[in-house]
Amino acid sequence: MKVNIISLTCCAGCISSFLNAGEAFLEILSEDFQIVYSPTFIDLKEIPKVDLAIVEGGIKTEEDEKLVREVRAKSEFLIALGICATHGGITSLGNIFSVKKLLEKEYSILKRTKLPELKDLMYPICNFVDVDYYIPGCPPMPFLIVHTLKSIVNRKQPIRYQSVVCTECHRRIMPAKLDRLYGIYEKEADPKLCLVSQGFVCLGSLTRDGCGAPCPRAGFTCFGCRGPADSLMYRSRDMYSFLVKVISKRTGVQEESVREELYRNPFIFHTFIFSRFERFKSRERII
Amino acid sequence: MSSGKEITISPTTRIEGQGKVTIILDESGNVSDAYFYATEIRGFDYFLMGMEVERLPFIISRICGVCATAHVLASVKAIESVCKTEITETAKKLRELLLMGQIISNHSIVFFFLTLPDFWFSPEEDPSKRNIFQIMREKPDVGRKAIALRSFGAYLLRLIGKREIHIVSTIPGGLITPLKERERKELLKKAKEACAITMEALQLGKELFDRNWEEFRKAGDYKTYYMALTKKDSMEFYEGKIRVINPEGELHSEFMAQDYVSQVEEKTYPWTYAKFAYLKTLGWPKGIVQVGPTARMNINKKAMTPIANKELEEFKRKFGNPAHATLLFDYARLIDLMYACERAKMLLEDETLTKTNIRVKVQPTGGIGIGIIEAPRGTLAHRYHLTSEGKLKQMKLIIPTQINNAAINLNVKDAAKEFIHHGEIKPGLLNRIEMVIRAYDPCIKCATRSTNENLIVEIRNNEGELIQML
Repeated sequence: MKVNIISLTCCAGCISSFLNAGEAFLEILSEDFQIVYSPTFIDLKEIPKVDLAIVEGGIKTEEDEKLVREVRAKSEFLIALGICATHGGITSLGNIFSVKKLLEKEYSILKRTKLPELKDLMYPICNFVDVDYYIPGCPPMPFLIVHTLKSIVNRKQPIRYQSVVCTECHRRIMPAKLDRLYGIYEKEADPKLCLVSQGFVCLGSLTRDGCGAPCPRAGFTCFGCRGPADSLMYRSRDMYSFLVKVISKRTGVQEESVREELYRNPFIFHTFIFSRFERFKSRERII
Repeated sequence: MSSGKEITISPTTRIEGQGKVTIILDESGNVSDAYFYATEIRGFDYFLMGMEVERLPFIISRICGVCATAHVLASVKAIESVCKTEITETAKKLRELLLMGQIISNHSIVFFFLTLPDFWFSPEEDPSKRNIFQIMREKPDVGRKAIALRSFGAYLLRLIGKREIHIVSTIPGGLITPLKERERKELLKKAKEACAITMEALQLGKELFDRNWEEFRKAGDYKTYYMALTKKDSMEFYEGKIRVINPEGELHSEFMAQDYVSQVEEKTYPWTYAKFAYLKTLGWPKGIVQVGPTARMNINKKAMTPIANKELEEFKRKFGNPAHATLLFDYARLIDLMYACERAKMLLEDETLTKTNIRVKVQPTGGIGIGIIEAPRGTLAHRYHLTSEGKLKQMKLIIPTQINNAAINLNVKDAAKEFIHHGEIKPGLLNRIEMVIRAYDPCIKCATRSTNENLIVEIRNNEGELIQML
């Protein structure tokens, strides 16, 4: 299998995560998996025709769109790797600012050297091309990437993770009686108790599993980097209300005060801001 | 070729993030200007306004997945400097260890995956073969070692940072989970292996470097000021004073982190999304300064670990003090790597590392604070202005690639001048330009915190019409 690796607008963390797979990374590199195009590793300027394309990053410039269309046309399978490619990711936070404002503030208009024009929003790649597999995560864990790639090479369906992060977390859920919610540096977390029960805003109850819950296990709140779980994709569930209910149940804080706290802080849901995520298209394809 | 042209290289390959090079020719077909530029912008500086300090470090890490840990550490240091928090000794050691993990995982990839192919193959080699995967096919052992070294860095970050990329354990006030004795022992074992591999890499690098030195020396030699962190004249990444030396190697100035913004100024140009940083007291363009591996060698007289110290001395003996040749960045990076492995081993040998007093309470307050560390690519500064409720009011980041941006551009121009005369382009231009850029290991993701495109070299005439793309 010949493979292209393309980076669009992103932080390059997803490909770095793939390199962190160590032995498994070496194992996968073989006749069945040959990386033939990747500006990060290979001096090839033309995009060749391949069997599999791995795309990290979302679409923020006209150039990105052109590139992703070309890559799609030249490959049999296409994987969207990481939350930027699948959902829009962190850069979507910039959607509240107009491009013009951004540029006028800092730069004069760039005519002569023809820098690529910016799009109005940060788009996930599924807005422009068909995606065969979505691997959300910021970044996805190395084993998840390797597992998916191996399955594709062997022409098998990769295992899909459909549940929530709580199922992979060791912490015990104990309804509590708290008077308010807490920030992560306001107090030390109990090592055994559910973070939500302790008053921290952990998004594990909404977020797709498959990561092994490294953040809540370490005592840091889950911030939803795997995107919403299947149950939140199928029906038009209101994620905000869902989270308010969960937090209120586990902490004993009134729903009204939880809602107020969550609305006060627009960044809590940053990984869940999908600029134009196409839920129905992606249904069965999220790993 | 007729007169008045512009050359474009795109995408520039084997660098992290992608950019573009444009060379502009004058009427007689000689180089009048050359630019290396970034074509992406994400706008982190704007959309993080109003963010709670608590979430800042781990969101800011999304600026760059390659040097994420460096950003987290600079960020928590900046917040601690606003809130006047003193972290414990153990926390400091663990953070330095994290930073070493960052240097190891970054430098191992840069050396083996990005620059090694340039030394390994001759410039005439088929470009589709000039990469690490080909080296792995010819010598699987090299690939295994590269990955083993990277894995050690990643493992360090996983055990202490709790994630390999975009770590979560480091928060203002210290860390959230202590290191276990079992983990320390395991890491120490791996650190010893990593030291052995780095020794081999260093030998390999030196051999290839010696063989090609005559050729490399021609690739550019730009005499500028240098800047790096230093602590008692030795190499330091986590804390210390910032020292600047002039092109002759004499001390220019020395200052503390909080004075950084009054010493370093930024400038934008209409043709790139990346900014330029320079020394304020000297003005532009006199104050062009370089940071990164070579700067670290030039600034520091010694290293506190034995092998790195020996190598540092050898480096100074061979190339002078300060050393200016651009491609020495690649050599110096190996000494960095050696230091990082040795220092990690040294820190891990310390049994007090597993102490549990790693966190102090932070009282959110308003004000301005700066956090500075030595990131893999040079001195990284985060400056935050926080409101009294502990929310971000204003942020300014000065990133190594922005500082090196000027030197990269000058180097590209020199290389272009060498290869283009009267409209004739000698073969090898593309490779030379890319090698020079690669030496700086620019991280366009960081410099622009922005969107993305591949590195392109275009040749345009003085009207801006496109003549040729390489």
